[in-house]
Amino acid sequence: MKALVALVLAFAALGQPRTYDPHDLSGIWNARTVRGSNFSLSAASPPMTPWAQQRYDAAKPGLGPRGRPLGNDPMMICDPMGYPRIMFWTNYPIEIIQRPERTIMFFDWFYTYRTIWTDGRALDPDADARWYGNSIGAWEGDTFVVKSNEFDDRTWLDADGHPHTEDMTLEERFRRVDKDTIELRMTITDAKAYTRPWTSEPITLTRADAKTKMREDVCVPSVEQRYKEVMRNPAGGAK
Amino acid sequence: MAILALLFALVAHHGSRVSYDLTRTVTLNGVIKEVSYTNPHVYFTFDVTDEKGKVTEWGAETDPPIMLERRYNWSKKYLKYGDKVTVTVWPSKVGAPRGFLAKLVTADGHILDHQEQPQQ
Repeated sequence: MKALVALVLAFAALGQPRTYDPHDLSGIWNARTVRGSNFSLSAASPPMTPWAQQRYDAAKPGLGPRGRPLGNDPMMICDPMGYPRIMFWTNYPIEIIQRPERTIMFFDWFYTYRTIWTDGRALDPDADARWYGNSIGAWEGDTFVVKSNEFDDRTWLDADGHPHTEDMTLEERFRRVDKDTIELRMTITDAKAYTRPWTSEPITLTRADAKTKMREDVCVPSVEQRYKEVMRNPAGGAK
Repeated sequence: MAILALLFALVAHHGSRVSYDLTRTVTLNGVIKEVSYTNPHVYFTFDVTDEKGKVTEWGAETDPPIMLERRYNWSKKYLKYGDKVTVTVWPSKVGAPRGFLAKLVTADGHILDHQEQPQQ
């Protein structure tokens, strides 16, 4: 019976002209992670190396299961979120702009962007480390595969304080599953920090409604400093 | 206990929320002093005068502007220096006159009711 239903649905789908180009990722999108993934790739990381464990233990997150008052999350002094962490901070829209030679992901949070080169260049193993990495992309069928390296190791991977080294590489697979949805999965490989690759839960990018605009949601250090003095420190009991 | 844990999971989200006691609220009447309608946290301070005339400066923080506007149709214009407000907060665990905003009622009737609209 299930097979019959699937067959009927497949025939029905054949009759429907596809109303979108699967190679067109442009537009304004809202990212969403699966419930329980804890502002990260997934709820739990692969086993950490002793180096990574030490860094992780030194991280004092402000939210999630290890969240405590005060803490040392780099975001709390407006340090760059970096990639991929900014993808897990899902309150703010993301605009994707595609040009023949590059795709730009423009993040409303921090009002910043990353460039994914699609002009056929190879990843430069000697590139300078960047907060948002160095990235190239190419289509494999209907999947846009992005490979990145040289991520500045000052960023946390997630709100829980997972570290990474500058040897980390990232592979992302973006696939437009329907007119209004892109599905993204990412895999981090960083042998100095994790004993095996870390693959994310699916991240869903849903087309934002027509009234959604890119705003200018920057994190301003002087404002954050004032917030710390007026609210965060007194509320948390800092002397 | 499970309900408390769920409530905590819904509200524990960002910044200093872990500093607040989510098991009780405090309601105060005051006059707005400072408003910071910015990222990543909107907050405001307000003077509360007790029956003996003693003035205490309280502070309340809430979500960033994008969330207030999306979820509560809030506007930056609804709050300014000198406004009389009624504020309900989840108070600081350490007893400081600070809290996470549960409900705000302005003198001209704008209401931001966080309790009825839990976090993602």
